[in-house]
Amino acid sequence: MTTLIEVSGLRKLYRSSFGQPKITALDGIDFQVREGEMFGLLGPNGAGKTTTVKILLGLTHATSGSASIAGLPVKNPESRRRVGYLPEGHKIPNYLTARQAMTIFGRMSGMDSATMRTRIPDLIERVGLGMKWADVRIKKFSKGMTQRLGLACALIHSPKLLLLDEPTDGVDPVGRREIRDLLREEAKQNGVAVLLNSHLLSEIELTCDRVAMLRNGKVAAFGTVEELTRKSATYKMVATPTDDSLVAAFRETGAGVERVNGHMVLSVSDVPHLNALVDKLRASGGMLNELTPVRSSLEDVFVDLIRAEEVPAGGTPAERDISQ
Amino acid sequence: MKVLVANIEDVMREAAARWTLIAYFFLSTLFIIIFASAVNLDIVNGALAGAKLFGKDVQMGDNTISIEKLVLGFESGFSVFLYFICTFLAIFATAHLVPRMQEKGTIDLYLSRPVSRVRLLMSRYVAGLILAGSNVVYLIGTIWLIIAWKTHVFHPRFLLGGSIMFLMIAILLAFAFLIGVVTSSTAVSIMTTYGIFFFGLMLAAHDRIAAAVSKEWQAALINGLYWIFPKSGELGQAVVAFVGGDEMPARVLSVLTPAPFLTSAAFGAVCLILASWLFTKKEF
Repeated sequence: MTTLIEVSGLRKLYRSSFGQPKITALDGIDFQVREGEMFGLLGPNGAGKTTTVKILLGLTHATSGSASIAGLPVKNPESRRRVGYLPEGHKIPNYLTARQAMTIFGRMSGMDSATMRTRIPDLIERVGLGMKWADVRIKKFSKGMTQRLGLACALIHSPKLLLLDEPTDGVDPVGRREIRDLLREEAKQNGVAVLLNSHLLSEIELTCDRVAMLRNGKVAAFGTVEELTRKSATYKMVATPTDDSLVAAFRETGAGVERVNGHMVLSVSDVPHLNALVDKLRASGGMLNELTPVRSSLEDVFVDLIRAEEVPAGGTPAERDISQ
Repeated sequence: MKVLVANIEDVMREAAARWTLIAYFFLSTLFIIIFASAVNLDIVNGALAGAKLFGKDVQMGDNTISIEKLVLGFESGFSVFLYFICTFLAIFATAHLVPRMQEKGTIDLYLSRPVSRVRLLMSRYVAGLILAGSNVVYLIGTIWLIIAWKTHVFHPRFLLGGSIMFLMIAILLAFAFLIGVVTSSTAVSIMTTYGIFFFGLMLAAHDRIAAAVSKEWQAALINGLYWIFPKSGELGQAVVAFVGGDEMPARVLSVLTPAPFLTSAAFGAVCLILASWLFTKKEF
């Protein structure tokens, strides 16, 4: 799969007032986003998410490191030829109608009038705006409608990469779902890569394939949603019988065992350790009914990560995965 | 070209939606109507028998004045008035173009397109010039037509004098763009641009001011500023001289040399280059 975003050792220092030390917004981050992938960028306020997106769009300049889109350095305006962007709190000139705004931004992306004549009505319907609003001034739009129009403007030139900053901000729950479906459709059918910058963690969890969590300008965790939400070496075991002797036998191996609502939650050191416990269960004549890794929500992972003062030596499990 | 067309469309639609365009052309039209009703000429057998301007008789003296000379004198005198009107209206209607584009949430939408920043700024500059230029053409063209209709004298130099006004507008707009890029403020752009226009008018008398100051460095500073800033005084005089042509006194015609044009144009070019460079470096 083609890599659409390649970020390597990206650093950004902001000048502060005279005599004050510079502010480190990004401290050497690395990540890639591939074609057709939905990628989430998470982090608390000031973590460096917006700075990353701004560097990718050439809105601000990196202090060091490199960033490229579709193989072109971000300093080259051509790198944005197939990029659609929806900024948070965008202000599409409200004196325009939806159709006029899409025409102007389409033209700025090099589209011809004939293509736009068919593309605009199609997109207005796809984002759920409805053609009755096509020729109404934007100042009459609600926040959710403006957001839908912003998405349409981002998609007007059939981009290969979408950079979306809080795309569902102000949109009702049904609309959110529609937007999620639209993004998935773009990713699956057209191979569009989506970089989603959002505070709505449930939405990222529902939408994204991979996630990077930023903290203090660094990538604090990185991986698939599944990798990040899997509690390290913790499994739910449903077996019969789960008597005290079996629990004691498990504990003798050094495993942590908790009995919860008729099943056991096992904390093991590694996969061989888990297998050893299964062997013990079978040796005692027990039956294994279910064995599943225990997952936490992305929100739990996020909150744990933010609360942690320092990343332990060797990084989080996800960081260790990347370095391998 | 598509970027330019997009920017022109954007600028024109904004001007229309925000009433700028309507106010711009309404004021011009109002001026034209007043002018058309103010000029009353009495032409008998192809000769000017009498003329009234704003209700007052124009003194003809004992000798009859040819209608051509009257028109020429009137147009050359009136052109300096138009020079101020056109310049003021143009700056007022276009100084917001950069500050508004640089607003948070708007600039991101423009810069995320595959357009270099210099191209974006220049497209906006050209769009602004087209807006201002269309008003110059409307104002001068209509007045020229009214004069031609009332006197049957077609004097093309009056029309061409508009190009000097347009040059001044282009120079001032370049300066307004520079201030707009630096401050992102429409108010500051308008104030400083008008300021520099008046400063240029004052510096037209730089010789006399320099002679009046007590210290040599002050005189050098005044003369230096004269050569740096756009020569709004000389260009205004140049409009009169150009429209009047050979009929004008030598003192007025003396301003029609390349120096004020070239140095003023250089000021505008430097402002545009500086604005482009700063816009390229600017972080949003």
